Amino acid sequence: MKRIRSSIIDGVGFDLVLVGIPLVFLLLFSGLPLVYNVLMSFQEVDLFSLGEVFRPFVGLKNYRALFAQPEFWPIMWNTVIFVFCSIGGQFIVGFGLAVFFNTGFRGSTFIRGLFLVSWVMPGLVVGATWNWILAGDFGVLNYLLSSIGVISENIFWRSDINYSLWAVIITNIWLGTAFNMILLSVGLAGIPKDLYEAASLDGATAFQKFWTITVPMMRSTTGAVISLGLIFTLQQFDLFAAITGGGPANSSNVAQYWAWELSFRQYDFARGATISTIMIAVVMVASVFYVRSTRHEVRG
Amino acid sequence: MTQELQIELNGVDKHYGAFHALKDIQLAIPKGAFVALVGPSGCGKSTLLRSIAGLETISGGEMKITDEVVNNVPPRHRDVAMVFQSYALYPHMTVIDNLTYSLRLKKTPKAEARKIAEEVAATIGLENLLDRFPRELSGGQRQRVAMGRAIVRRPKVFLFDEPLSNLDASLRVHMRKEIRALHDRLGATSVYVTHDQIEAMTMADHVVVMRAGVIEQQGAPLELYDRPASQFVAGFIGSPAMNFVDGVTNADGTAVTLEIDGAPELKLPRQVACNQKVTVGLRPEHLSISAAGQGTITTKISVIESTGSTTYVGAGDTGKITIVLSERRDISVGDTIDLSINAKDIHLFDPHSQMAI
Ligand SMILES: Nc1ncnc2c1ncn2[C@@H]1O[C@H](COP(=O)(O)OP(=O)(O)O)[C@@H](O)[C@H]1O
Ligand SMILES: [Mg+2]
Repeated sequence: MKRIRSSIIDGVGFDLVLVGIPLVFLLLFSGLPLVYNVLMSFQEVDLFSLGEVFRPFVGLKNYRALFAQPEFWPIMWNTVIFVFCSIGGQFIVGFGLAVFFNTGFRGSTFIRGLFLVSWVMPGLVVGATWNWILAGDFGVLNYLLSSIGVISENIFWRSDINYSLWAVIITNIWLGTAFNMILLSVGLAGIPKDLYEAASLDGATAFQKFWTITVPMMRSTTGAVISLGLIFTLQQFDLFAAITGGGPANSSNVAQYWAWELSFRQYDFARGATISTIMIAVVMVASVFYVRSTRHEVRG
Repeated sequence: MTQELQIELNGVDKHYGAFHALKDIQLAIPKGAFVALVGPSGCGKSTLLRSIAGLETISGGEMKITDEVVNNVPPRHRDVAMVFQSYALYPHMTVIDNLTYSLRLKKTPKAEARKIAEEVAATIGLENLLDRFPRELSGGQRQRVAMGRAIVRRPKVFLFDEPLSNLDASLRVHMRKEIRALHDRLGATSVYVTHDQIEAMTMADHVVVMRAGVIEQQGAPLELYDRPASQFVAGFIGSPAMNFVDGVTNADGTAVTLEIDGAPELKLPRQVACNQKVTVGLRPEHLSISAAGQGTITTKISVIESTGSTTYVGAGDTGKITIVLSERRDISVGDTIDLSINAKDIHLFDPHSQMAI
């Protein structure tokens, strides 16, 4: 007893306690629900068996039924478009802004700080705000596009099946840009100034410095930002709820929103859990990339 | 004989906001010269070097490189190479890629670039490290890569900003010779910044002493040692530093009386203003222990430090006067000794302007 006590106070025991507390916490509140979710995707679930853990095992039946639904592949394709375009847009705009603010002009840090506002706002509020911007008849976006001559008649972003997904993507790009910019700014600030000076003397133009110094030095940050972006984008739910509700006719529906619809609108918990399980698999792959890219730092 | 100039600075000024970092710099560097910029930390050496490189834009005056005014020429068009104090190696590139970076920017064919880099690597002992990353190298090896990267370019001018300050003492002494030998072999023009006057004195043909943004004095190393223009230069050049003692010249200006115990009178090599307060400069290595007599300073030993080959003696009540002895003497702390000095080795400075008299 005494030995255990002294080990906890000044030995290895202390480290174990430090690691143990969060580990137990994670297992209890993240691990168990995940396992429960995966388990549910292999079971037959109805409203009466909802409270139980051990329900009839049905193998891959839920998966087969899900794949057979006519909307399955269109929604998966929407998800892919949503994820790729959101991440791409957020990253490119975020990188551009990060490089811009990294020039360090007067007030650059202050203005950069203001960008965090988009981060603080709840998704539902952002969605509501963008609903106005995207509105077909009085929206600012249509006004801008028509005044620079890109469109000749109003686009009904939220109710046109050709644009509804893009309405959410545009909003999500706006929402995620600040996060990308902040992380990329940290990465840029970590590149020593004298590398650019050495490159200038070696004969590099600004463009060449960007491609031969900035881009390779940002590789690990980029990997981390994109992996995290993938995770956050797959989690994006509020914007769909606020802007299109997945419609019209599933034209803007994506996996995460569909899972919610199946579980809590149609009370088909098994299929909802099945979609979630597929997404868990994708996120786990992304996590591996994230961990790898943060480990492969090329600095110093 | 007028020598061809490589770098010419006429009244160059540099302001950082309200701060005047370089004041009216006049400097002419002939082709092939090895010039050292030396001075205490913060005096503007790096600023001057970076201005030559084009990394800082000068606020006033004119700067020429090979007769071309370069005030507004960007660094990449100046054809100068710089070795940074931090080395500034590209961390994501191997040694060979670091060396060939400038060549690749110039679209030199790959094989040719590699051949040039390998030749340079061989001359500075890097041939076995070509595929390593900078993080896998020791400090001395990184330093060599930084030099190699400069040499590969065959620039008109090499700029060095305290390149040896991150190395240990023995490697520093070794690299000193190597850099100078390299300079002679390449026939290049070099500007070398250091805060270490020994580096400046041993490496350079021409030493520029700076203080607070001003060139205090410039000239050949021994000229600065023999004829310092000011008390600052006198104290900065030479190690250990020159002793300064207050004194007054006598009635006919041919001797000076030191204001220390015993008020010894030293003969001067030439006549100066009479009955004038002066600061007398005596180099430690010029003082010798002699028999008591006319024109000697009688004092007590308070400190003895011996390195074996050289003995540093501190004399006077607080070790105020330092003496360097190269031969061993039978002396100990507390002994009373008599010091003498040749009249030609006595330096006089005006206590107000601090300029040499
Ligand atoms: N970018 C800058 N902005 C403001 N002051 C600077 C800047 N760079 C250097 N200085 C100032 O100029 C002076 C000279 O600096 P520097 O040339 O680096 O000195 P050193 O002789 O030690 O190399 C210092 O007082 C320094 O604080
Ligand atoms: Mg410096």
